[in-house]
Amino acid sequence: MSRRTRILSHITLILVSVIMLTPIYWVVKTSISGENLFTYPPSIVPHDPNLFYYVQAWYTVDFVRLFTNSLAIAVLVVVVNLVLNAMAGYALTKHFPGKGMVLGFLLASMMIPFHATIIPAYLLTAKLGLLNSKLGIALPFFSHIVCIFLFKSNFEAIPSSLVQAARLDGLSELRILTRIMLPLSRPAVATNIILSFIWSWNDFLWPLIVVRSPDQETMPLGLVSFLASFEDTTGALYAFCVLVVLPSMLVFLLAQKDFIRGLTTGATKG
Amino acid sequence: MDTPSRHADDRKTAVVAQRMKKPFLSRKTRHLAFVWMLLLPALLVYFAYRAVPLAWNVVLSFSFWAPGKPIRFAGLYQYQELAFYDGIFWEVLKNTAIFMLVIPISIMLALALALLVDQKITGRNIYRTIIFLPYPMMVVAVGIVWRWLYNDNVGLINYALRSMGLISRPIAFLESYDFALAAVIAAAVWQILGFFMIIILTGLQNIPPHLYEAARIDGARAHHRFWRITLPLLRPSLFLCVILGVIASFTSFDLIYTMTNGGPGHATDLLITYIYKAAFTLSRFDYAAAMTVVMFVLFLALALLTNRLAGGDAGKVDISD
Repeated sequence: MSRRTRILSHITLILVSVIMLTPIYWVVKTSISGENLFTYPPSIVPHDPNLFYYVQAWYTVDFVRLFTNSLAIAVLVVVVNLVLNAMAGYALTKHFPGKGMVLGFLLASMMIPFHATIIPAYLLTAKLGLLNSKLGIALPFFSHIVCIFLFKSNFEAIPSSLVQAARLDGLSELRILTRIMLPLSRPAVATNIILSFIWSWNDFLWPLIVVRSPDQETMPLGLVSFLASFEDTTGALYAFCVLVVLPSMLVFLLAQKDFIRGLTTGATKG
Repeated sequence: MDTPSRHADDRKTAVVAQRMKKPFLSRKTRHLAFVWMLLLPALLVYFAYRAVPLAWNVVLSFSFWAPGKPIRFAGLYQYQELAFYDGIFWEVLKNTAIFMLVIPISIMLALALALLVDQKITGRNIYRTIIFLPYPMMVVAVGIVWRWLYNDNVGLINYALRSMGLISRPIAFLESYDFALAAVIAAAVWQILGFFMIIILTGLQNIPPHLYEAARIDGARAHHRFWRITLPLLRPSLFLCVILGVIASFTSFDLIYTMTNGGPGHATDLLITYIYKAAFTLSRFDYAAAMTVVMFVLFLALALLTNRLAGGDAGKVDISD
Protein backbone atom coordinates (compact mmCIF):
# COMPACT_ATOMS: atom_id res chain seq x y z
CA MET A 1 0.00 0.00 0.00
CA SER A 2 1.42 3.35 -0.97
CA ARG A 3 2.09 6.08 1.54
CA ARG A 4 -0.53 8.30 -0.03
CA THR A 5 -3.42 5.81 0.25
CA ARG A 6 -2.36 5.09 3.81
CA ILE A 7 -2.57 8.76 4.79
CA LEU A 8 -5.83 9.26 2.90
CA SER A 9 -7.33 6.22 4.63
CA HIS A 10 -6.34 7.57 8.01
CA ILE A 11 -7.79 11.00 7.28
CA THR A 12 -11.11 9.51 6.13
CA LEU A 13 -11.34 7.13 9.07
CA ILE A 14 -10.50 9.83 11.61
CA LEU A 15 -13.16 12.06 10.08
CA VAL A 16 -15.75 9.28 10.25
CA SER A 17 -14.73 8.42 13.81
CA VAL A 18 -15.21 12.03 14.85
CA ILE A 19 -18.70 12.06 13.31
CA MET A 20 -19.59 8.75 15.00
CA LEU A 21 -18.34 9.93 18.37
CA THR A 22 -19.84 13.43 18.28
CA PRO A 23 -23.35 12.50 19.50
CA ILE A 24 -21.83 10.43 22.31
CA TYR A 25 -19.48 13.25 23.24
CA TRP A 26 -22.30 15.78 23.12
CA VAL A 27 -24.55 13.91 25.53
CA VAL A 28 -21.68 13.29 27.96
CA LYS A 29 -20.68 16.96 27.72
CA THR A 30 -24.24 18.11 28.37
CA SER A 31 -24.56 15.74 31.31
CA ILE A 32 -21.48 17.02 33.13
CA SER A 33 -21.61 20.73 32.37
CA GLY A 34 -22.92 23.03 35.03
CA GLU A 35 -23.88 25.73 32.54
CA ASN A 36 -27.38 26.83 31.68
CA LEU A 37 -28.47 24.57 28.81
CA PHE A 38 -29.90 27.57 26.98
CA THR A 39 -26.72 29.52 26.57
CA TYR A 40 -26.07 30.32 22.94
CA PRO A 41 -23.67 29.54 21.44
CA PRO A 42 -23.33 26.21 23.27
CA SER A 43 -19.83 25.64 24.58
CA ILE A 44 -17.91 22.89 22.83
CA VAL A 45 -16.02 21.82 25.93
CA PRO A 46 -17.82 21.66 29.26
CA HIS A 47 -16.74 24.52 31.46
CA ASP A 48 -16.82 23.87 35.14
CA PRO A 49 -17.55 20.11 34.73
CA ASN A 50 -19.40 18.59 37.69
CA LEU A 51 -21.75 15.76 38.53
CA PHE A 52 -24.69 17.94 39.56
CA TYR A 53 -27.05 16.53 36.90
CA TYR A 54 -26.21 12.96 37.92
CA VAL A 55 -27.14 13.74 41.50
CA GLN A 56 -30.32 15.42 40.28
CA ALA A 57 -31.23 12.42 38.11
CA TRP A 58 -30.55 10.09 41.03
CA TYR A 59 -32.96 11.97 43.27
CA THR A 60 -35.65 12.65 40.66
CA VAL A 61 -36.17 9.08 39.51
CA ASP A 62 -36.20 5.93 41.55
CA PHE A 63 -33.06 4.78 39.85
CA VAL A 64 -32.48 1.72 42.02
CA ARG A 65 -35.96 0.37 41.29
CA LEU A 66 -35.61 0.83 37.52
CA PHE A 67 -32.17 -0.73 37.61
CA THR A 68 -33.19 -3.75 39.66
CA ASN A 69 -36.30 -4.31 37.51
CA SER A 70 -34.26 -4.24 34.30
CA LEU A 71 -31.56 -6.40 35.84
CA ALA A 72 -33.99 -8.98 37.24
CA ILE A 73 -35.68 -9.35 33.85
CA ALA A 74 -32.34 -9.52 32.03
CA VAL A 75 -31.00 -12.18 34.40
CA LEU A 76 -34.18 -14.24 34.04
CA VAL A 77 -34.00 -13.96 30.24
CA VAL A 78 -30.30 -14.86 30.16
CA VAL A 79 -30.61 -17.91 32.41
CA VAL A 80 -33.66 -19.34 30.67
CA ASN A 81 -32.10 -18.65 27.28
CA LEU A 82 -28.98 -20.60 28.18
CA VAL A 83 -30.98 -23.60 29.33
CA LEU A 84 -33.54 -23.67 26.51
CA ASN A 85 -31.13 -22.85 23.69
CA ALA A 86 -28.48 -25.34 24.81
CA MET A 87 -31.12 -28.05 25.14
CA ALA A 88 -32.68 -27.35 21.77
CA GLY A 89 -29.26 -26.96 20.13
CA TYR A 90 -28.18 -30.33 21.51
CA ALA A 91 -31.37 -32.02 20.34
CA LEU A 92 -30.79 -30.66 16.84
CA THR A 93 -27.40 -32.41 16.63
CA LYS A 94 -29.26 -35.74 16.84
CA HIS A 95 -31.07 -37.59 14.11
CA PHE A 96 -34.73 -38.15 14.72
CA PRO A 97 -37.90 -38.31 12.65
CA GLY A 98 -39.47 -34.88 12.24
CA LYS A 99 -36.15 -33.03 12.49
CA GLY A 100 -36.68 -31.39 9.11
CA MET A 101 -40.03 -30.11 10.29
CA VAL A 102 -38.56 -28.68 13.48
CA LEU A 103 -35.81 -26.89 11.54
CA GLY A 104 -38.39 -25.56 9.11
CA PHE A 105 -40.55 -24.33 11.96
CA LEU A 106 -37.62 -22.56 13.62
CA LEU A 107 -36.50 -20.90 10.38
CA ALA A 108 -40.06 -19.82 9.65
CA SER A 109 -40.38 -18.38 13.17
CA MET A 110 -37.18 -16.45 12.52
CA MET A 111 -38.98 -14.73 9.65
CA ILE A 112 -41.71 -13.42 11.96
CA PRO A 113 -40.47 -10.19 13.54
CA PHE A 114 -41.68 -9.89 17.12
CA HIS A 115 -43.13 -6.50 16.19
CA ALA A 116 -45.63 -8.23 13.91
CA THR A 117 -47.02 -10.22 16.83
CA ILE A 118 -47.50 -7.55 19.49
CA ILE A 119 -51.31 -7.45 19.49
CA PRO A 120 -51.95 -11.19 19.96
CA ALA A 121 -48.88 -11.41 22.21
CA TYR A 122 -50.44 -8.74 24.39
CA LEU A 123 -53.82 -10.50 24.43
CA LEU A 124 -52.16 -13.82 25.19
CA THR A 125 -50.13 -12.34 28.04
CA ALA A 126 -53.32 -10.79 29.40
CA LYS A 127 -55.06 -14.20 29.23
CA LEU A 128 -52.16 -15.75 31.13
CA GLY A 129 -52.60 -13.07 33.77
CA LEU A 130 -49.03 -11.89 33.29
CA LEU A 131 -49.61 -8.27 32.34
CA ASN A 132 -47.57 -5.89 34.47
CA SER A 133 -45.24 -8.62 35.70
CA LYS A 134 -41.58 -9.37 35.16
CA LEU A 135 -42.40 -12.84 33.91
CA GLY A 136 -44.77 -11.34 31.35
CA ILE A 137 -42.02 -9.02 30.07
CA ALA A 138 -39.46 -11.82 29.90
CA LEU A 139 -41.56 -14.67 28.54
CA PRO A 140 -41.53 -13.92 24.79
CA PHE A 141 -37.73 -13.64 24.87
CA PHE A 142 -37.04 -16.91 26.63
CA SER A 143 -35.34 -18.27 23.54
CA HIS A 144 -33.46 -16.76 20.58
CA ILE A 145 -33.28 -18.89 17.46
CA VAL A 146 -29.89 -17.50 16.43
CA CYS A 147 -28.48 -18.80 19.72
CA ILE A 148 -30.01 -22.24 19.20
CA PHE A 149 -28.15 -22.54 15.91
CA LEU A 150 -25.02 -21.17 17.55
CA PHE A 151 -25.14 -23.97 20.11
CA LYS A 152 -25.91 -26.53 17.44
CA SER A 153 -22.86 -25.66 15.35
CA ASN A 154 -20.67 -25.48 18.47
CA PHE A 155 -21.77 -28.90 19.66
CA GLU A 156 -21.23 -30.36 16.21
CA ALA A 157 -17.65 -29.14 16.26
CA ILE A 158 -16.89 -31.24 19.35
CA PRO A 159 -15.11 -34.47 18.33
CA SER A 160 -17.56 -37.35 18.41
CA SER A 161 -14.88 -39.64 19.86
CA LEU A 162 -15.18 -37.68 23.11
CA VAL A 163 -18.92 -38.25 23.21
CA GLN A 164 -18.49 -41.95 22.38
CA ALA A 165 -15.97 -42.36 25.19
CA ALA A 166 -18.34 -40.70 27.65
CA ARG A 167 -21.15 -42.95 26.51
CA LEU A 168 -18.97 -46.04 27.05
CA ASP A 169 -18.23 -44.77 30.54
CA GLY A 170 -21.97 -44.93 31.13
CA LEU A 171 -22.78 -41.24 31.21
CA SER A 172 -26.41 -40.47 30.48
CA GLU A 173 -27.29 -38.21 27.56
CA LEU A 174 -28.17 -35.38 29.92
CA ARG A 175 -24.83 -35.73 31.71
CA ILE A 176 -23.03 -35.70 28.36
CA LEU A 177 -24.71 -32.38 27.62
CA THR A 178 -23.95 -30.77 31.00
CA ARG A 179 -20.54 -32.30 31.74
CA ILE A 180 -18.93 -32.49 28.31
CA MET A 181 -20.73 -30.45 25.69
CA LEU A 182 -21.37 -27.27 27.67
CA PRO A 183 -17.92 -26.88 29.24
CA LEU A 184 -16.45 -27.28 25.76
CA SER A 185 -18.76 -24.62 24.28
CA ARG A 186 -17.61 -21.59 26.24
CA PRO A 187 -17.74 -19.24 23.22
CA ALA A 188 -21.37 -20.14 22.45
CA VAL A 189 -22.30 -19.73 26.11
CA ALA A 190 -20.59 -16.33 26.29
CA THR A 191 -22.21 -15.12 23.09
CA ASN A 192 -25.62 -16.29 24.23
CA ILE A 193 -25.27 -14.50 27.56
CA ILE A 194 -24.15 -11.24 25.97
CA LEU A 195 -26.72 -11.17 23.18
CA SER A 196 -29.70 -12.07 25.34
CA PHE A 197 -28.58 -9.61 28.01
CA ILE A 198 -28.24 -6.66 25.64
CA TRP A 199 -31.47 -7.47 23.79
CA SER A 200 -33.39 -7.71 27.03
CA TRP A 201 -31.77 -4.63 28.54
CA ASN A 202 -32.49 -2.43 25.52
CA ASP A 203 -35.98 -3.71 24.77
CA PHE A 204 -38.61 -0.99 24.83
CA LEU A 205 -41.78 -1.69 22.84
CA TRP A 206 -42.80 -4.85 24.71
CA PRO A 207 -42.39 -3.46 28.25
CA LEU A 208 -44.18 -0.32 27.06
CA ILE A 209 -47.18 -2.46 26.18
CA VAL A 210 -47.10 -4.84 29.14
CA VAL A 211 -46.15 -2.57 32.04
CA ARG A 212 -49.07 -0.80 33.66
CA SER A 213 -47.65 0.60 36.91
CA PRO A 214 -44.48 2.55 37.75
CA ASP A 215 -43.21 -0.13 40.11
CA GLN A 216 -42.68 -2.53 37.19
CA GLU A 217 -41.01 0.00 34.89
CA THR A 218 -37.70 -0.89 33.28
CA MET A 219 -34.84 1.50 32.43
CA PRO A 220 -36.02 2.54 28.95
CA LEU A 221 -39.55 3.11 30.26
CA GLY A 222 -38.17 5.22 33.10
CA LEU A 223 -36.18 7.23 30.58
CA VAL A 224 -39.27 7.88 28.46
CA SER A 225 -41.39 8.82 31.49
CA PHE A 226 -38.65 11.20 32.54
CA LEU A 227 -38.66 12.77 29.08
CA ALA A 228 -42.46 13.05 29.18
CA SER A 229 -42.56 14.79 32.55
CA PHE A 230 -39.49 17.05 32.34
CA GLU A 231 -39.15 17.80 28.60
CA ASP A 232 -35.73 17.58 26.99
CA THR A 233 -34.42 20.77 28.49
CA THR A 234 -33.05 19.47 31.74
CA GLY A 235 -29.47 18.25 32.00
CA ALA A 236 -30.55 15.44 34.32
CA LEU A 237 -32.20 13.72 31.32
CA TYR A 238 -28.81 13.40 29.64
CA ALA A 239 -27.15 12.20 32.82
CA PHE A 240 -29.89 9.58 32.95
CA CYS A 241 -29.19 8.65 29.30
CA VAL A 242 -25.52 8.11 30.06
CA LEU A 243 -26.33 5.93 33.06
CA VAL A 244 -28.78 3.83 31.06
CA VAL A 245 -26.40 3.27 28.16
CA LEU A 246 -23.39 2.54 30.34
CA PRO A 247 -24.13 -1.12 31.30
CA SER A 248 -24.67 -2.35 27.75
CA MET A 249 -21.64 -0.37 26.53
CA LEU A 250 -19.57 -1.96 29.27
CA VAL A 251 -20.75 -5.44 28.37
CA PHE A 252 -20.00 -4.73 24.73
CA LEU A 253 -16.51 -3.34 25.31
CA LEU A 254 -15.58 -6.20 27.65
CA ALA A 255 -16.84 -8.88 25.29
CA GLN A 256 -16.55 -7.20 21.91
CA LYS A 257 -15.31 -10.28 20.08
CA ASP A 258 -18.03 -12.61 21.37
CA PHE A 259 -20.71 -10.04 20.72
CA ILE A 260 -19.71 -9.39 17.13
CA ARG A 261 -19.12 -13.06 16.44
CA GLY A 262 -22.56 -13.86 17.80
CA LEU A 263 -24.23 -11.28 15.60
CA THR A 264 -22.44 -12.41 12.47
CA THR A 265 -22.29 -16.18 12.98
CA GLY A 266 -25.93 -17.13 12.79
CA ALA A 267 -26.19 -14.66 10.00
CA THR A 268 -23.30 -15.04 7.62
CA LYS A 269 -22.26 -18.62 8.05
CA GLY A 270 -23.19 -20.30 4.79
CA MET B 1 -57.99 -63.03 49.69
CA ASP B 2 -58.16 -61.10 46.53
CA THR B 3 -57.25 -57.75 48.04
CA PRO B 4 -56.25 -54.80 45.88
CA SER B 5 -52.89 -54.57 47.65
CA ARG B 6 -51.93 -58.08 46.58
CA HIS B 7 -52.83 -57.22 43.04
CA ALA B 8 -50.61 -54.21 43.22
CA ASP B 9 -47.81 -56.33 44.65
CA ASP B 10 -48.13 -58.83 41.85
CA ARG B 11 -48.06 -56.13 39.29
CA LYS B 12 -44.98 -54.57 40.85
CA THR B 13 -43.06 -57.82 40.74
CA ALA B 14 -44.11 -58.31 37.16
CA VAL B 15 -42.90 -54.83 36.21
CA VAL B 16 -39.61 -55.34 38.02
CA ALA B 17 -39.10 -58.67 36.32
CA GLN B 18 -39.86 -57.14 32.95
CA ARG B 19 -37.47 -54.30 33.58
CA MET B 20 -34.73 -56.70 34.48
CA LYS B 21 -35.16 -58.54 31.22
CA LYS B 22 -35.23 -55.49 28.99
CA PRO B 23 -35.62 -51.73 29.46
CA PHE B 24 -39.11 -50.40 30.10
CA LEU B 25 -39.07 -48.50 26.84
CA SER B 26 -37.00 -49.44 23.86
CA ARG B 27 -33.76 -47.56 23.32
CA LYS B 28 -35.19 -45.88 20.28
CA THR B 29 -38.28 -44.63 22.06
CA ARG B 30 -36.24 -43.32 24.96
CA HIS B 31 -33.93 -41.51 22.56
CA LEU B 32 -36.93 -39.96 20.84
CA ALA B 33 -38.53 -38.94 24.12
CA PHE B 34 -35.26 -37.40 25.25
CA VAL B 35 -34.85 -35.37 22.07
CA TRP B 36 -38.38 -34.01 22.18
CA MET B 37 -38.07 -33.24 25.87
CA LEU B 38 -35.05 -31.08 25.06
CA LEU B 39 -36.81 -29.36 22.18
CA LEU B 40 -40.20 -28.84 23.70
CA PRO B 41 -39.62 -25.78 25.95
CA ALA B 42 -38.03 -23.72 23.17
CA LEU B 43 -40.63 -24.83 20.63
CA LEU B 44 -43.38 -23.91 23.07
CA VAL B 45 -42.05 -20.34 23.33
CA TYR B 46 -42.03 -19.97 19.54
CA PHE B 47 -45.37 -21.62 19.18
CA ALA B 48 -47.02 -19.33 21.74
CA TYR B 49 -45.30 -16.09 20.76
CA ARG B 50 -44.74 -16.52 17.01
CA ALA B 51 -47.05 -19.09 15.40
CA VAL B 52 -50.18 -18.48 17.44
CA PRO B 53 -50.01 -14.66 17.13
CA LEU B 54 -49.65 -14.95 13.37
CA ALA B 55 -52.91 -16.89 13.10
CA TRP B 56 -54.61 -14.75 15.75
CA ASN B 57 -53.72 -11.61 13.78
CA VAL B 58 -55.33 -13.02 10.64
CA VAL B 59 -58.50 -13.97 12.52
CA LEU B 60 -58.70 -10.55 14.19
CA SER B 61 -58.18 -8.77 10.89
CA PHE B 62 -61.39 -10.32 9.51
CA SER B 63 -63.40 -9.47 12.63
CA PHE B 64 -64.99 -6.71 14.63
CA TRP B 65 -63.57 -7.01 18.10
CA ALA B 66 -62.68 -4.84 21.08
CA PRO B 67 -61.62 -5.95 24.54
CA GLY B 68 -64.67 -7.15 26.50
CA LYS B 69 -66.91 -7.39 23.44
CA PRO B 70 -67.94 -10.52 21.54
CA ILE B 71 -66.11 -11.17 18.29
CA ARG B 72 -68.10 -10.78 15.05
CA PHE B 73 -67.18 -11.67 11.50
CA ALA B 74 -66.35 -8.54 9.52
CA GLY B 75 -65.28 -9.91 6.18
CA LEU B 76 -63.00 -7.50 4.40
CA TYR B 77 -64.25 -4.46 6.33
CA GLN B 78 -60.94 -3.65 8.04
CA TYR B 79 -58.98 -4.06 4.81
CA GLN B 80 -61.43 -1.89 2.91
CA GLU B 81 -61.10 0.81 5.52
CA LEU B 82 -57.32 0.92 5.33
CA ALA B 83 -57.29 0.76 1.55
CA PHE B 84 -60.02 3.28 0.74
CA TYR B 85 -60.92 5.36 3.77
CA ASP B 86 -57.72 5.85 5.72
CA GLY B 87 -55.47 8.37 3.98
CA ILE B 88 -53.05 8.25 6.88
CA PHE B 89 -52.40 4.57 6.25
CA TRP B 90 -51.08 5.39 2.79
CA GLU B 91 -48.99 8.25 4.13
CA VAL B 92 -47.53 5.90 6.73
CA LEU B 93 -46.82 3.30 4.05
CA LYS B 94 -45.03 5.95 1.99
CA ASN B 95 -43.01 7.02 5.04
CA THR B 96 -41.96 3.44 5.67
CA ALA B 97 -40.83 3.15 2.05
CA ILE B 98 -38.85 6.41 2.32
CA PHE B 99 -37.39 5.27 5.63
CA MET B 100 -35.92 2.32 3.74
CA LEU B 101 -33.44 4.76 2.22
CA VAL B 102 -31.52 3.87 5.38
CA ILE B 103 -30.65 0.59 3.65
CA PRO B 104 -28.79 1.80 0.52
CA ILE B 105 -27.21 4.75 2.35
CA SER B 106 -25.90 2.59 5.19
CA ILE B 107 -24.74 -0.21 2.92
CA MET B 108 -22.74 2.07 0.64
CA LEU B 109 -21.09 3.85 3.55
CA ALA B 110 -20.49 0.56 5.35
CA LEU B 111 -18.92 -1.00 2.27
CA ALA B 112 -16.51 1.93 1.91
CA LEU B 113 -15.62 1.83 5.59
CA ALA B 114 -15.20 -1.96 5.59
CA LEU B 115 -12.75 -1.70 2.69
CA LEU B 116 -10.83 0.98 4.59
CA VAL B 117 -10.55 -0.90 7.88
CA ASP B 118 -9.78 -4.16 6.10
CA GLN B 119 -6.41 -2.71 5.08
CA LYS B 120 -3.35 -3.35 7.19
CA ILE B 121 -3.20 0.06 8.80
CA THR B 122 -2.39 0.94 12.36
CA GLY B 123 -5.32 1.44 14.68
CA ARG B 124 -7.81 -0.40 12.48
CA ASN B 125 -9.29 -2.17 15.50
CA ILE B 126 -9.87 1.16 17.21
CA TYR B 127 -11.61 2.52 14.10
CA ARG B 128 -13.78 -0.60 13.93
CA THR B 129 -14.78 -0.29 17.57
CA ILE B 130 -15.61 3.40 17.28
CA ILE B 131 -17.74 2.92 14.17
CA PHE B 132 -19.55 -0.05 15.74
CA LEU B 133 -20.01 1.65 19.13
CA PRO B 134 -23.49 3.14 18.49
CA TYR B 135 -25.03 -0.20 17.55
CA PRO B 136 -25.37 -1.80 21.02
CA MET B 137 -26.68 1.43 22.53
CA MET B 138 -30.25 1.52 23.81
CA VAL B 139 -32.33 3.00 20.98
CA VAL B 140 -34.48 5.01 23.39
CA ALA B 141 -31.37 6.82 24.61
CA VAL B 142 -30.15 7.26 21.04
CA GLY B 143 -33.45 8.91 20.14
CA ILE B 144 -33.19 11.32 23.04
CA VAL B 145 -29.59 12.21 22.22
CA TRP B 146 -30.47 12.95 18.60
CA ARG B 147 -33.45 15.07 19.64
CA TRP B 148 -31.00 17.12 21.62
CA LEU B 149 -28.59 17.39 18.67
CA TYR B 150 -31.46 18.60 16.45
CA ASN B 151 -32.75 21.10 19.02
CA ASP B 152 -33.51 24.34 17.19
CA ASN B 153 -32.16 26.75 19.82
CA VAL B 154 -29.06 25.19 21.25
CA GLY B 155 -28.67 21.93 19.30
CA LEU B 156 -25.23 21.14 17.99
CA ILE B 157 -26.40 20.62 14.41
CA ASN B 158 -28.09 24.01 14.14
CA TYR B 159 -25.11 25.61 15.81
CA ALA B 160 -22.69 23.98 13.38
CA LEU B 161 -24.76 24.92 10.33
CA ARG B 162 -25.14 28.49 11.55
CA SER B 163 -21.49 29.01 12.35
CA MET B 164 -20.57 27.66 8.93
CA GLY B 165 -22.97 30.19 7.46
CA LEU B 166 -25.10 27.56 5.72
CA ILE B 167 -28.32 28.74 7.35
CA SER B 168 -29.20 32.11 8.80
CA ARG B 169 -31.95 31.12 11.18
CA PRO B 170 -32.30 27.90 13.19
CA ILE B 171 -34.33 25.05 11.72
CA ALA B 172 -36.57 22.98 13.98
CA PHE B 173 -35.71 19.79 12.11
CA LEU B 174 -37.98 17.45 14.03
CA GLU B 175 -40.99 19.76 13.82
CA SER B 176 -40.65 20.40 10.11
CA TYR B 177 -42.63 18.50 7.48
CA ASP B 178 -39.69 18.82 5.12
CA PHE B 179 -36.89 17.68 7.36
CA ALA B 180 -38.29 15.44 10.09
CA LEU B 181 -38.18 12.16 8.19
CA ALA B 182 -34.71 12.86 6.82
CA ALA B 183 -33.53 13.77 10.32
CA VAL B 184 -34.79 10.46 11.70
CA ILE B 185 -33.18 8.59 8.81
CA ALA B 186 -29.80 10.19 9.60
CA ALA B 187 -30.02 9.00 13.21
CA ALA B 188 -30.96 5.48 12.06
CA VAL B 189 -28.01 5.38 9.66
CA TRP B 190 -25.68 6.51 12.44
CA GLN B 191 -26.74 3.60 14.60
CA ILE B 192 -26.85 0.74 12.09
CA LEU B 193 -23.81 1.69 9.99
CA GLY B 194 -21.26 -0.09 12.19
CA PHE B 195 -23.27 -3.31 12.25
CA PHE B 196 -23.38 -3.42 8.44
CA MET B 197 -19.66 -2.64 8.32
CA ILE B 198 -18.89 -5.64 10.54
CA ILE B 199 -21.06 -7.96 8.40
CA ILE B 200 -19.35 -6.77 5.22
CA LEU B 201 -15.95 -7.03 6.89
CA THR B 202 -16.65 -10.65 7.80
CA GLY B 203 -17.57 -11.25 4.17
CA LEU B 204 -14.35 -9.58 2.99
CA GLN B 205 -12.24 -11.72 5.27
CA ASN B 206 -13.87 -14.87 3.93
CA ILE B 207 -12.67 -14.13 0.40
CA PRO B 208 -9.71 -16.44 -0.27
CA PRO B 209 -6.58 -14.27 -0.71
CA HIS B 210 -5.23 -16.44 -3.52
CA LEU B 211 -7.95 -15.04 -5.79
CA TYR B 212 -6.42 -11.58 -5.42
CA GLU B 213 -2.91 -12.92 -5.96
CA ALA B 214 -3.98 -14.70 -9.12
CA ALA B 215 -5.66 -11.54 -10.34
CA ARG B 216 -2.57 -9.49 -9.55
CA ILE B 217 -0.39 -11.91 -11.49
CA ASP B 218 -2.80 -11.61 -14.38
CA GLY B 219 -2.25 -7.85 -14.15
CA ALA B 220 -5.76 -6.87 -13.03
CA ARG B 221 -5.95 -3.33 -11.72
CA ALA B 222 -7.29 -2.45 -8.29
CA HIS B 223 -10.72 -1.36 -9.52
CA HIS B 224 -11.00 -4.46 -11.66
CA ARG B 225 -10.25 -6.61 -8.66
CA PHE B 226 -12.98 -4.77 -6.77
CA TRP B 227 -15.67 -5.16 -9.42
CA ARG B 228 -14.71 -8.66 -10.53
CA ILE B 229 -13.74 -10.36 -7.27
CA THR B 230 -14.68 -8.38 -4.17
CA LEU B 231 -18.18 -7.29 -5.08
CA PRO B 232 -19.47 -10.59 -6.52
CA LEU B 233 -18.11 -12.55 -3.56
CA LEU B 234 -19.62 -10.06 -1.12
CA ARG B 235 -23.10 -10.64 -2.49
CA PRO B 236 -24.35 -12.81 0.41
CA SER B 237 -23.09 -10.28 2.97
CA LEU B 238 -24.58 -7.32 1.13
CA PHE B 239 -27.96 -8.99 0.72
CA LEU B 240 -27.91 -9.97 4.36
CA CYS B 241 -27.52 -6.27 5.16
CA VAL B 242 -30.51 -5.56 2.92
CA ILE B 243 -32.68 -8.08 4.77
CA LEU B 244 -31.60 -6.79 8.17
CA GLY B 245 -32.28 -3.26 6.90
CA VAL B 246 -35.77 -4.27 5.78
CA ILE B 247 -36.43 -5.76 9.22
CA ALA B 248 -35.12 -2.56 10.85
CA SER B 249 -37.39 -0.42 8.65
CA PHE B 250 -40.44 -2.38 9.75
CA THR B 251 -39.47 -2.40 13.42
CA SER B 252 -37.96 1.04 14.10
CA PHE B 253 -40.43 1.84 16.79
CA ASP B 254 -38.18 3.05 19.60
CA LEU B 255 -36.39 5.68 17.53
CA ILE B 256 -39.56 7.24 16.12
CA TYR B 257 -41.36 7.09 19.46
CA THR B 258 -38.66 9.04 21.26
CA MET B 259 -37.60 11.43 18.51
CA THR B 260 -40.92 12.59 17.04
CA ASN B 261 -43.68 10.18 18.09
CA GLY B 262 -44.71 10.22 14.45
CA GLY B 263 -45.04 13.97 14.17
CA PRO B 264 -45.36 16.57 12.93
CA GLY B 265 -48.82 15.35 11.90
CA HIS B 266 -47.98 11.91 10.61
CA ALA B 267 -44.85 12.98 8.75
CA THR B 268 -42.60 10.45 10.50
CA ASP B 269 -45.15 7.80 11.43
CA LEU B 270 -44.06 4.37 10.20
CA LEU B 271 -46.30 1.32 9.91
CA ILE B 272 -45.19 0.00 13.28
CA THR B 273 -45.82 3.24 15.17
CA TYR B 274 -49.21 3.67 13.49
CA ILE B 275 -50.15 0.09 14.39
CA TYR B 276 -49.10 0.73 17.98
CA LYS B 277 -51.24 3.85 18.18
CA ALA B 278 -54.27 2.15 16.62
CA ALA B 279 -54.05 -0.79 19.00
CA PHE B 280 -52.82 0.64 22.25
CA THR B 281 -54.04 4.23 22.30
CA LEU B 282 -57.27 3.86 20.29
CA SER B 283 -57.96 0.23 21.34
CA ARG B 284 -58.76 -0.66 17.73
CA PHE B 285 -57.15 -4.08 17.93
CA ASP B 286 -59.06 -5.47 14.94
CA TYR B 287 -57.98 -2.65 12.62
CA ALA B 288 -54.41 -2.75 13.93
CA ALA B 289 -54.36 -6.50 13.29
CA ALA B 290 -55.33 -5.92 9.65
CA MET B 291 -52.48 -3.42 9.29
CA THR B 292 -50.11 -5.90 10.93
CA VAL B 293 -51.10 -8.54 8.39
CA VAL B 294 -50.35 -6.06 5.58
CA MET B 295 -47.02 -5.21 7.21
CA PHE B 296 -46.09 -8.86 7.57
CA VAL B 297 -47.00 -9.69 3.97
CA LEU B 298 -44.96 -6.71 2.72
CA PHE B 299 -42.02 -7.73 4.88
CA LEU B 300 -42.17 -11.32 3.68
CA ALA B 301 -42.43 -10.25 0.04
CA LEU B 302 -39.41 -7.95 0.36
CA ALA B 303 -37.36 -10.54 2.25
CA LEU B 304 -38.14 -13.28 -0.28
CA LEU B 305 -37.44 -10.92 -3.18
CA THR B 306 -34.08 -10.01 -1.67
CA ASN B 307 -33.27 -13.65 -1.10
CA ARG B 308 -34.19 -14.47 -4.69
CA LEU B 309 -31.96 -11.69 -5.99
CA ALA B 310 -29.14 -12.95 -3.79
CA GLY B 311 -29.46 -16.40 -5.32
CA GLY B 312 -30.83 -17.84 -2.11
CA ASP B 313 -27.75 -16.93 -0.11
CA ALA B 314 -28.83 -13.94 1.95
CA GLY B 315 -28.88 -14.48 5.66
CA LYS B 316 -28.21 -18.12 5.11
CA VAL B 317 -28.15 -20.10 8.32
CA ASP B 318 -26.21 -23.30 8.65
CA ILE B 319 -28.81 -26.01 9.02
CA SER B 320 -26.91 -28.83 7.35
CA ASP B 321 -26.68 -31.99 9.37
